[in-house]
Amino acid sequence: MPEIRPKKVGIVACSGEEIAEGTVTRLAALRVLETLRPEETVTICLPLFLAGGEGDRAFARYYPTIAVDGCDLRCAARATEMYSGKPAASVVVTDMVAEAGIGPVDGRRRLNEAGQQAVEATAARVAGLVDELLAPFAGRRPMEPVPLTVQQPTSASCACGSGIPVQTIAVNGETVTLVALPLILAQFHEEGKRPSAETTHELLQATQIYNPIPAGQAELYAHALEEEYARYWQGVTSQSLVTRHPSLVSDT
Amino acid sequence: MTTETARVVVVPCSGIGKTYGTVSREAAYEVVDDLRPETSQLVPLSLLVLGEEGACTAVSHYPAITIDGCKLACATKMVQENGGQVAHDLAVLDVYRRHRQFKPQGIAELNEGGQQLAHALAEEVAALIDEVAEGADWM
Repeated sequence: MPEIRPKKVGIVACSGEEIAEGTVTRLAALRVLETLRPEETVTICLPLFLAGGEGDRAFARYYPTIAVDGCDLRCAARATEMYSGKPAASVVVTDMVAEAGIGPVDGRRRLNEAGQQAVEATAARVAGLVDELLAPFAGRRPMEPVPLTVQQPTSASCACGSGIPVQTIAVNGETVTLVALPLILAQFHEEGKRPSAETTHELLQATQIYNPIPAGQAELYAHALEEEYARYWQGVTSQSLVTRHPSLVSDT
Repeated sequence: MTTETARVVVVPCSGIGKTYGTVSREAAYEVVDDLRPETSQLVPLSLLVLGEEGACTAVSHYPAITIDGCKLACATKMVQENGGQVAHDLAVLDVYRRHRQFKPQGIAELNEGGQQLAHALAEEVAALIDEVAEGADWM
């Protein structure tokens, strides 16, 4: 089956503001995202599964996801599974603390020493899981930490990195939004797959990984994808030709 | 009318990637821990997302003040989604526009400007809690 290779792992922290362990999840996730594995990880705010759009809800279907929870309520893991997709791995801070023999974590506003240790232990565990999840695809080596950069508060957009690309196409006259389709089309083009019956079959398979295709409508979707890819192929190829041969563009 | 202690639910943004999320959280903590501990209650967004009973009951029983870190307004949307009444929705960016002298930086730890902005925001929230509590039919 064709596969859009995951190049990044999604981190979903519960961020539970009412307990110190929630603060641990937030800081540990941040440590992984900005220092330990900045090139290999993305995140999403948990509430965006409900408050966001279709691209946000597709997060865990697109990225192999690690849920980082503060307590055994496991809000991040359960909500991710409920609204997006089953997490590939799950870490619970209270379990980590017990296993590592770290003292009582306290201080939701300012973590105590045990809380700081819990952040380090949780971040290390998550970074290890990131490596495990990506290893089959990239065979990567663990990266050296990179310095944290502090961004300027110039805009009010969400920084959680959410938003899987989506594309709207017409299927039998009905408008349908398909998650990850822009990436699928781009990858197929990069791989030199020319529009054909075989390519259409593969497109449908790849699209089905991220989108439920209603029973009995596979052929209609396949037809719509075939047309969409033909347009994409022609558009990108023409643009490429113009870039290489500017004289092809008429002056009039 | 109930005999319960009057409370206003404070729901901050749970964003982990930007300064504004940290400011919203710090302000919420200051309100519920220091400024209005008797009349306010913090409700975490993660529990609302999961539909946890206690959190949903809190937002459906008491008016909420939401503090959002970005225009996506997750806190406000989630309270509404759970049948809550948003008495006031604040955005950190708007508060920053009113207090441009407090320039926030840092995520894991706020700089001095961020702490001052959080304090200014907390004061605004506390004043709104008093206002809501004064005219509350829900007490």
